Amino acid sequence: MKWVSPKSGFDEVFDPRGQPRSHYATLISILESFTKEDVERRERLQQLTLRNQGITFTVYGEKDGLERIFPFDFVPRIIPAAEWKTLQDGLVQRITTLNLFLADIYQEQKCLKDGIVPAELILTRKEYKRELLGMVPPRKIFTHVVGTDIIRNDRGEYLVLEDNCRVPSGVSYVLENRNLLSRVFPEFFGSYPVRPIKDYPTLLLETLRFVAPRRGQNPVVVILSPGIHNSAYFEHSFLAREMGVPLVEGRDLLVEGNHLFMRRTHGKRQVDVIYRRTDDDFLDPLAFRRDSMLGVPGLLNVYREGNVALANAPGAGVADDKSVYAFMPQLIRYYLGEDALLPQVSTYLGFKKDDFKYMSEHLDQLVVKTTGDAGGYGMLMGPFASAKERETYLAGMKKNPGNYIAQPLVELSTHPTHIEGKFEPRRVDLRPFILYGDRIRVLPGGLTRVALRPGSYVVNSSQGGGSKDTWVLAPREP
Amino acid sequence: MILSRVADGLYWMGRYLERAENTTRLLLVTEELSTEVLGLDEGLARGEWTDLRIVFPGFPDGEPPFRHLAGLASASLLGLSIDPANRYSVFYSLKKARDNARSVREALSLEVFINLNETYRELESYNRRQLGDPATFRSALGSTHRGIMSTVGAIEHTLTRDAGWLFLKLGESLERVFRTAVILRTKLPALVSDEPTVDLPLFYSQWRSLLRGLSCLENYRKVFGARLEPIDVLQFLLFDAETPRSVRYGATTVKEHLDRISSASELSQPARIVGKLAAELSYQGHDLIRDGQILPFLDHVLNELGRAHDALSTVYFGT
Repeated sequence: MKWVSPKSGFDEVFDPRGQPRSHYATLISILESFTKEDVERRERLQQLTLRNQGITFTVYGEKDGLERIFPFDFVPRIIPAAEWKTLQDGLVQRITTLNLFLADIYQEQKCLKDGIVPAELILTRKEYKRELLGMVPPRKIFTHVVGTDIIRNDRGEYLVLEDNCRVPSGVSYVLENRNLLSRVFPEFFGSYPVRPIKDYPTLLLETLRFVAPRRGQNPVVVILSPGIHNSAYFEHSFLAREMGVPLVEGRDLLVEGNHLFMRRTHGKRQVDVIYRRTDDDFLDPLAFRRDSMLGVPGLLNVYREGNVALANAPGAGVADDKSVYAFMPQLIRYYLGEDALLPQVSTYLGFKKDDFKYMSEHLDQLVVKTTGDAGGYGMLMGPFASAKERETYLAGMKKNPGNYIAQPLVELSTHPTHIEGKFEPRRVDLRPFILYGDRIRVLPGGLTRVALRPGSYVVNSSQGGGSKDTWVLAPREP
Repeated sequence: MILSRVADGLYWMGRYLERAENTTRLLLVTEELSTEVLGLDEGLARGEWTDLRIVFPGFPDGEPPFRHLAGLASASLLGLSIDPANRYSVFYSLKKARDNARSVREALSLEVFINLNETYRELESYNRRQLGDPATFRSALGSTHRGIMSTVGAIEHTLTRDAGWLFLKLGESLERVFRTAVILRTKLPALVSDEPTVDLPLFYSQWRSLLRGLSCLENYRKVFGARLEPIDVLQFLLFDAETPRSVRYGATTVKEHLDRISSASELSQPARIVGKLAAELSYQGHDLIRDGQILPFLDHVLNELGRAHDALSTVYFGT
């Protein structure tokens, strides 16, 4: 077995002397007991399983929405119990804050009045839905499902890179990766106390049922998907199957007398909770985007009347805006009176004059992102861009400075990844999933995304990323 | 009860899966008969391919006439196996079945989806040049056929017998009886003419091939023995109550599914249309053959099945 060591960044598996870190030692010795042929045969089996089971995502911009297999690397990422404890506490603190922040800016706006966050920054975001001012969602929960992106700097510290409060995706691959790995490399599991994740759909369903407006009844929960051409359609369908709830599209729903129903072959049925996997703008053409064919006319009124719950709540997207992110440490202190347990990446705001000046002058050292976009779209990797690319990008920034933020390039950690017969270092991040229902639960696992191209920092599936099974270890018995 | 869109998706999945199976089987049978008779009667071989093109009319308009049989055979064979633009090719039907299955995957079992997906992916991996080779063609289509059969087996053995299942089976049974009627309507004019137009052994080859094309040869033999009498074959394919591809059996199955889908109090419009048709098939068989009224009757069958399809789209799918 050949292990290539990384040129830079924190190595998840090997220490600086080239010895496996203690929690990886057993895995490395198991892997080294395989021959090259064994590994290749298992890898072929793995490919076949992914293909036959239709575990795919859809790439936009290619002809007819091409279905692609989400590449999977079989070398698992292992997180020791103590590290996970820190992450978990930090995540609970963060989602609690995000929810208090949302409740605040849609009600009293105290944090704006107290000057914690500049009011104009929040109120001008397109994700801030002034139509919902004063609206309290069922059980006062805005962010039922959050996926937070975590990276590790060159000292191995976990940093929050961004929160995803709208429709975070990827959890289906978390579950499928575990299924796949345990089938293809069962030998890996014997020596590790890997915490199970299979009950996620059950917990998700509990979370969703908790917010049903009609109490004491068996609430009808549905998943709302934009349809088969959406990049995450596999996940929508997967979760519907796993939870045993209907998967609906906008055209399956209708509003009558301020209640929401689904159209069935024999009459209609009332819907109580929508786990929506569509953006706010496509929920209701009467309320948001009039040109949208996807939504359900009148849905927002039903929601305002308190007759249906939407998860996540409309308008929650403003909380994961990349410029709001910059204020998270202050917000945590403001609402909870605590220091943030997880550090984050320092951020320059195009919104601030001084910051924008710094950004314009140091583009070659910064990663610049548009505040509202996700999926790695619309970003500039300054250190790797040509002078011409930076110039063009800067011209765009000047048109709408408030729409941009910048961060120093963080050296992501690397993890050995099987590439053409060798184990090469590739950069990884981590997206844990957090559910907010009767209490806050963090799924003990997460999506480890890996930048498969050598040297790349971009882990997004739409840009050539893959993923790994992610093991959170149970604490050892004393 | 289920979403109208899901019912629609399952219905079409059932139709396309059945159509893929029909096309596969008929391609294999036609290719075999054509090979068998080629040296004896080229006209007959040509007729088989032309008939197949009427039963599955997905070929482009303005296709140049084929001067040589080989050209006709190979264009038909490739067109109906893997041409993605041909609306009746096995590939097209499997793709549509899979697209529909993907859009309603939450209503299916993992086994059903995996079998269908694997079958589709395997056929997709062949190209025109590979399938131009007869041996490869037979093995590829044979494998597709087995894949479809295991998908049908997964449907049979893993799905809950709920409304979704009924719509899937409704699509399957409607497609099946419709295609049997189209095949008979296409083949019978030449076969039932007073004077056989070909040598007697070839004449019987055609009847045998018709039975095989409808998966009925062994079933026929169990009832009537090895001797192929046209009147018996007709009786069997149209009016037998037990063989799954006779017109009567098909109409009765469609009726049963529609009755179960209908609400208990009142029969729906499609259930009434097909109920009448099934009654005619059960009670009028012999008279129709004796009076030489088979062809007009088949037209009537096709017309009523078309009406039933339109009615159920209106009643259940809201389309």
